[in-house]
Parts: sequence; C-alpha cells; structure tokens
Amino acid sequence: MKPDGPIKLVSQLLDLPIVDSDGCYCGIVDDVELTGTPGQLLKVKSLLVGPGTYRERLPNWAFGLVRTVAGDHIARVPWSKVRSIGSTVRLSVPGGTLGLLKSEVRVERFIPHKGAF
Amino acid sequence: MNPLELTLGIMTAVGGFVDISELVFAAKAGSTFGFALIWVFAFSTVGIIVFSEMSGRVAAVAKQPVFNLMRHRLGLKLGLVVLAASIISNLITCAAEIGGVALILNYLTGAPYLPMTIAVTLGLIVSIWVLPFKWIERAYGLLGLFMIIFAVALFANHPPWHELASGFVPQVPKGLSTKELLNFGYFAVAIVSAVMFPYEVYFYSSGGIEEGWGPKDILTNRLTSILGMGLGSLLAISILANSAILFGPVNVDPEIPGSVALEAAIPFGKWGLVIALLGMLFAVAGAGVETCLANAYSIAQFFGWQWGRHKKPWEAPRFTLTWIVLFLAALVLVLTGVNVMTLVEFAVLFSILVLPLTYLPLLLLSGDREFMGQYANGSTTRALGWFYFGIVAAAAVAALPLYLLTSGGNG
Repeated sequence: MKPDGPIKLVSQLLDLPIVDSDGCYCGIVDDVELTGTPGQLLKVKSLLVGPGTYRERLPNWAFGLVRTVAGDHIARVPWSKVRSIGSTVRLSVPGGTLGLLKSEVRVERFIPHKGAF
Repeated sequence: MNPLELTLGIMTAVGGFVDISELVFAAKAGSTFGFALIWVFAFSTVGIIVFSEMSGRVAAVAKQPVFNLMRHRLGLKLGLVVLAASIISNLITCAAEIGGVALILNYLTGAPYLPMTIAVTLGLIVSIWVLPFKWIERAYGLLGLFMIIFAVALFANHPPWHELASGFVPQVPKGLSTKELLNFGYFAVAIVSAVMFPYEVYFYSSGGIEEGWGPKDILTNRLTSILGMGLGSLLAISILANSAILFGPVNVDPEIPGSVALEAAIPFGKWGLVIALLGMLFAVAGAGVETCLANAYSIAQFFGWQWGRHKKPWEAPRFTLTWIVLFLAALVLVLTGVNVMTLVEFAVLFSILVLPLTYLPLLLLSGDREFMGQYANGSTTRALGWFYFGIVAAAAVAALPLYLLTSGGNG
C-alpha cells in the first residue's frame, strides 16, 4: 500500500513493525501524530516510536513499570519517509538517521564482537 | 524444494519434538493408565501440527513471525498481557529443561546436580553464541535422534500390539473411581499442554524467518510439520507404551527422568541406557535452547528490535542481551532448589493457561484473506484450527481445578 491514500489507522498502521531501508527492524508504530482541523481531512504527520508513547495507552502503574525498564523517549518518523505499508511499515531511509536505533547502538557497546560464526 | 534440506528438517523436528515435560508425563501416564492415554498424545499432535503449519505459513507469506503480528492484531494492552504470560510460561519451562539436562548429566557422570546446572546454562549460552541458527537447530535436533532407542526398545519389549493399537481410540478407562477419573483428566490436560507448548509455535515461526522462508517453502513447511512432529510424537508414545509394559504391572511410578532411561536399559543393557540418556540429554538441551530463544524472540518482536541468530550476536544486541539474561533468570530459578518435577508441573500448568491467548491471534491472522491472500486457511485448516482452539480453551479452564483436586496428578 502506498502511504498517500486513505488509511485505517488502527487496523492498517498502529502497532506494525518498522523496517528501514537497510532491512533493519527499528521499532513499532506506537502512536501517530495527525494534522488537520475539525471538519477537514486529517493527515498523518509522523509516526511516533518509543516507550514514551505508552503514557497514553497503558494504565499509570504499567507505564511506570515500562518507564523504569526502558525509559520514556519518543522518536518521530516523518510521514514523508514512509515508503510503503503492508505487514510492516517500510522506510525510505536508514533508521539511524531518524534516531530509531539509539538503544541498539547503546547496548551493542556491551556485547563482545567475537567468537560467533 | 531441496530433498536433502527437507529430510534434515524433518529429522531435526523428530529429534527436537520430545522435551522434559513430555518425557515425564508420557512415562507417568503409561505406568498409571496403561495404553489408555495414547490417544491424547495422538490427538494433541494433530493440534500442534495444525498450529505449527499455520505459524510457518504466516512466516513464509507475510515474512513476519507470530509475535510481530500478534501485537498489531491484539493491540498494546492485550498484547502485553500475552507477552507477560508467555515470558513466565517459557521461563519456567526453560528452568525445567536446564534442571532436566543437569539431572541427566548427573546420571551419566555422577557430577553433583547444582554445579551441573551452572555448567549446563553456560554450555547452552556458549552454543547459541558460537553457532548460527541452522547449526543450533540441526545439532540439537539430530543428536536428539538417539531417542529412537525408545521406539526400538518398544519392539524389543514385545508389547501386546492389539491393546496398544486400541489406545489410539479416544476412551476413558471403565471402572475408575472419582479420584482416578480426576487423575485421568489431569493427565489428559497435562499431555495436551506438554505437546502444544506455546514456545514451539514461537520458535517454529521465528525459525522460518531465520531460514529466510518464502511462499516457495509452503510445502516444506507443511511436510516438516506433519512428518517431523508426527514421527516425533511416536517417540513420546513409545515412552508411554514402554512404561505401560514395564512399570505399570509392577506399580513403579517413574517419578524422575532417570526412570525413563530404564525403558531402554531393560532390553538392551548398559548401552541401551547410555544411548537413551544421550538422546534425552540432547532432546532436553535442545528444548532448553528453544524455550529461551522463543522468549527472546517474543520480546524482541513485540518491541520491534533487531532479532535472530542468523545475525551475529552484536548485530542484534538487545536480542542477544535478552536471551542471555533469560538463561541466567532460568538458572536462578533452578538454583533456588525447587525440584525439577515441580518445575515441570508448573510449566505444564502455566502453559495451558497461555495456550488460547497464543493460538487465537494466529488463527485470525492465518485466516485473513486480505493479509494472506491465496495462502489463507482453507476450510479444513480453519475447522481444525477452531476445533483445537475450543479444546485448548476448555483445557485451560479445567487445568487449575484439576491440578488442585489431584495435587498435581498425585491425588
């Protein structure tokens, strides 16, 4: 599906995995940011990715738990960077340029780079 | 379809089918109820074949494993509930497998149990770190084929074939007291749970992605599911039947995994015992790897991280950290001193509670024509899927009362 037509936000976009132009998984569509005014067509401005978005979607106690473990950062993916939507959301750029792979990079520092086939 | 790859895939599935829970419950079921629970194994095997085939097909067509899609289908809140339940179930199962491997090594070498659990955990961690996915799967699965000794032992033990065959017909033994009837019900539910463990589906579908399956692999997926799991189930049924012949008549309750190995030792002596223990060792160790990786797959897929052991460990860092931490958490559980058999019982009990939550989204996804196109469930698969979903839902409702009423099958 091209990202320029009408879209059902919940059944076709929300909670889908995001894959960047290098084929790397770089998060889930945790929420969306819309633009528009009442009575007019709404447009998706950006996809929101990261545990900070759970504040609106989970009970307070559960969000507190998630925040303790994973933090509360949010990354924004401009709609213009979305190439296609199917069983995943495909991006037209590497996830790193949008700040989507920060946690992977942070953890990678602690993983030895040897000994594996 | 490469015939060699297909054969290896099927043999791997056969060798990897049996885990510590199936070992224990097959042997106990045989000694307690003779051949009367064979049909439950056969019946549950059809169920796991149906759902494994579905999960493999979804992986091949959508190129997405179960948990990636489960969150999209269930939403964040319910998805988190399923994730939490799966993590607990898989963690207990993984701990039971680690304890089981340590016990088997204790039988083989005489080394003390608790230090052995640490060595086993480190050994499993190193094997996943060093080997790529295909080798991990093949090594444990193919070495688990030593378990075939139980099928060979069945022939050597000269079972009454007519009675054994009648065990495949659904039945409840006549003349049981209420207490025995409840015990029979508990064993039936436990076997359904042990055969249809949720981790098997998570691991199978993620494995399909690890191996780069596409629509061309639909037939391979179907044959691997049907033949691999079907033949693997025959090994579990052999254990049950041997137990019915050898242990039942002399009132021996095979309480520990070591008793199961005696089924091969009685007809074949020392070498039968060693081969049986080696088969159990690799099959249970393989299940330990599968439960831990299945857990890490679920977490990584739910949150959209890089995952998979077809990548180097540092190319999927959060996934790597997760499976290492999960192995260590399972080890801590074992080191608390809780008995392996207790872990097995809890693993089986908790898994049956999770099963409906695992299989419902899979059933919905694999039947969605918009999503799966021409590869969506056909009428037979759909009917079988909903039938088995009803069965696991009923088993989930019955599991806890049966466990309490029978004191975990000992009542």
